[in-house]
Amino acid sequence: MGRTRQFYLQLGFTLLVCAFLIVPVFMSIVAGLTENFFIGLKSGFTLRWIGVVWELYAPTIFRSMYIALATLAVTLVLGVPTAYVLAKRPGFLTRMIEEFLVLPVAIPGLAIALALILSYGGFRDFRTSWLFILVGHVLYTLPFMVRSVLAVLSSFDFRSLEESAASLGAGFWRRFFGIVVPNTRSGIIAGALTVVTLSIGEFNLTWMLHTPETMTLPVGLADSYASMRLEIGSAYTLVFFVMIIPLLIALQRYGTQRIKKAGHA
Amino acid sequence: MRTRSLIAGIAASFALAGHAAAADVICYNCPPEWADWGTMLKSIKADLGLEVPHDNKNSGQTLSTLIADKANPVADIAYYGVTFGIKAREAGVVAPYTPKHFGEIPTGLKAPDGSWFTIHYGTIGFFVNVDALRGVPVPKSWQDLLKPEYRGLVGYLDPTSAAVGYAGATAANLALGGSLDNWRPGIDYYKALKKNRPIVPLQTSYARVLSGEIPIMFDYDFNAMRAKFKDKCNCVFVIPQEGTIVLPYVMSLVKNGPHPENAKKVLDYLLSDKGQAIWANAFLRPIRPAAMTPDIAAKFLPAAEYKRALVIDYAKMEAAQNTFRDLYQKEVR
Amino acid sequence: MRARENRNLLLMVAPAIAVGAAFFLLPLARLAVVGATGPLGPQAYLAVVTNPQYLEALISTIILSVVVTAATLLIAGIAGVFLERNRFLGREALLSLLTLPLAFPGVVVGFMVIMLAGRTGLIAELTSLLGAGRLVFAYSMAGLFTGYLYFSIPRVILTIMAAAEKLDPALEEAAKSLGAGPWRVVRDVILPALAPALIASGAICFATSMGAFGTAFTLATDIKVLPIVIYTEFTLLANIAMAAVLSIVLGVITWVTLAASRAVAGATAAAAG
Repeated sequence: MGRTRQFYLQLGFTLLVCAFLIVPVFMSIVAGLTENFFIGLKSGFTLRWIGVVWELYAPTIFRSMYIALATLAVTLVLGVPTAYVLAKRPGFLTRMIEEFLVLPVAIPGLAIALALILSYGGFRDFRTSWLFILVGHVLYTLPFMVRSVLAVLSSFDFRSLEESAASLGAGFWRRFFGIVVPNTRSGIIAGALTVVTLSIGEFNLTWMLHTPETMTLPVGLADSYASMRLEIGSAYTLVFFVMIIPLLIALQRYGTQRIKKAGHA
Repeated sequence: MRTRSLIAGIAASFALAGHAAAADVICYNCPPEWADWGTMLKSIKADLGLEVPHDNKNSGQTLSTLIADKANPVADIAYYGVTFGIKAREAGVVAPYTPKHFGEIPTGLKAPDGSWFTIHYGTIGFFVNVDALRGVPVPKSWQDLLKPEYRGLVGYLDPTSAAVGYAGATAANLALGGSLDNWRPGIDYYKALKKNRPIVPLQTSYARVLSGEIPIMFDYDFNAMRAKFKDKCNCVFVIPQEGTIVLPYVMSLVKNGPHPENAKKVLDYLLSDKGQAIWANAFLRPIRPAAMTPDIAAKFLPAAEYKRALVIDYAKMEAAQNTFRDLYQKEVR
Repeated sequence: MRARENRNLLLMVAPAIAVGAAFFLLPLARLAVVGATGPLGPQAYLAVVTNPQYLEALISTIILSVVVTAATLLIAGIAGVFLERNRFLGREALLSLLTLPLAFPGVVVGFMVIMLAGRTGLIAELTSLLGAGRLVFAYSMAGLFTGYLYFSIPRVILTIMAAAEKLDPALEEAAKSLGAGPWRVVRDVILPALAPALIASGAICFATSMGAFGTAFTLATDIKVLPIVIYTEFTLLANIAMAAVLSIVLGVITWVTLAASRAVAGATAAAAG
């Protein structure tokens, strides 16, 4: 089958969309490595802006990383069991829980942050610690973990597996950790990648919740776009890309792997 | 197994978290590039041994956050434009403190009880990136900016929230014949300016002037001079022909802050000889004039230009802020 | 046995419920109450429609979100179906690039828009080279629209692709053999089959656009979208009650849209299946 004109038109269109998304990314990377953006590439390549970013914002980079990992830990502990319960007992109550799971995505981050500040802002130690930001991140990412695991649980008959295990004498917890969790590994991993990616890039909530001592990377980015030279903001964005792109590639590869697997199921 | 190494990794990062440097004094609105707080904070670390993280709020955000934090303050010191200092005192979120050299500050530029006091001041004008103008002549007056050749080239910070925004509005209003009781000339000016498609950011946009994104910005002389002398851009500062104002920036000790003793040390340092010299070096007019050296003074525009920059009744300016804000929000759309 | 199992299940879900109640439901309830106990009292909730500034912000935000959703569905629909159906050299790479902006915070998106459409941006350079002056649209509604499109396309395209995979080519063949032109095939075969996915992802796109803050914050446009008004009320004017009211209204509108879309998409799926 030859390539039709329609194929090339659609390909061209898709390439245009891709260019729209990627060209500014590329420009920003170049700006972060150029001596002077206004003059352009003629001014020479340099790593000094990355050095400046490190000097000013290194704590934010580490903070974003460990908050993301902590968010992952909490969403694993809270989310995987929840997804299991939702899959095991589909009923009115679980439908309600599913509705509530949508809320953190529906309600703007700004509003959730405001609500948290009004209710818990009075506890100074909590307010000024990174745990405050952790709470926000968990609220925002938990639905994604639950949904990811739930999707996998809905795609195979885990009850029969559990029944066979039960008939062999396996108790409730043994069945959960020995049968359910290993079989939902792909959903857990996809969920984990999503949670970490979303947490590293979270801004709306964190902007409101942060204090000078608990700045994360995206908050620092906003900071640098406003008050630093363009080259510094771009270099900082470059650091952000370096952190997030491997995660996105892993997520995308894992996601398509699952689609392929599900297709053959 | 994978889970075990995951748990180990998470435990390690918690350990890392515990070792993050704790701050000694929390400042609201100490942005590293504004007024060269970056150098000041480093200097405080070197001379006093106190760690003060930088913070990028603007004056309005600082006040609002202080009010929101009132029951359990997070910050120790706050930096903002004078009108916000006055408001903070009214809102009861700051504590009186008279640092060393308090007596050297002129009367209108401090609260008698020390709830706020000026550390340096700047003059409002046009911060212009000449290269970014691409041949369009450098504007000389407020009225110039209404001309069609400046379409899309002008920016100013939101007058309803940023101190520099409100200062710019006050300056334009007074220059064009208005007063703190009569905002009509100022409002009409902004309405006319709107037709020229200005950019109105919510936060500092120093970076955008440097990059040429906003070629002309209503800003302070010290920002323009920093761009010219430190960041080596082809930038100039223009004091508009019709006139402008001077705006003092003040510090306050936050009431019931977490580290009051260290905070006081920092506040004293800001008014000390060394502290004031750092401000002068950053092209801010130090409140203690002795700190200004002749070679830095030479870099400013000549005194004749500065004659047009007036000191005004800042208490009255503060009282008028709500009236102005309502008018602006209603009419300038 | 079942009772013990139920007890275990409850134990499993209890921590999540506790966290959700303590850190989400309760604070939101408190937010609603704070909104109703400000200087305007419960009437504050009416201020969204009575105050022209808030009403304008609300309407602008809704219109922007609707237009962005429509454009995104169109663009992602074409690109998504195309990518799903065709295999060619570089397809994987193209897909990776298209979903890259998925995790970008709104501020980065705003920055990207300035790189494209700002005064010193790519488009301005191109138009100036062509002698047409500098086309700058980053700071107008067009710029905001561009930014919102930027973060919406990657999200929607994956869902469309997953749904397109399930399309039955036999139906399209049948339609074509009966003489239907390509446009009719799209309208009568492809769109109805994709409808549940389009509605679901469209609703999420709408919800995300309604609540988006970072992009508008960076672009600093004239048009104030509702999240910016909420931010200004809270952080710059210390008008906490009004900020709470506007947040609740925004949340309710978004949630109702999502719930409605689930009902409609669910009904469509049931009708099709």
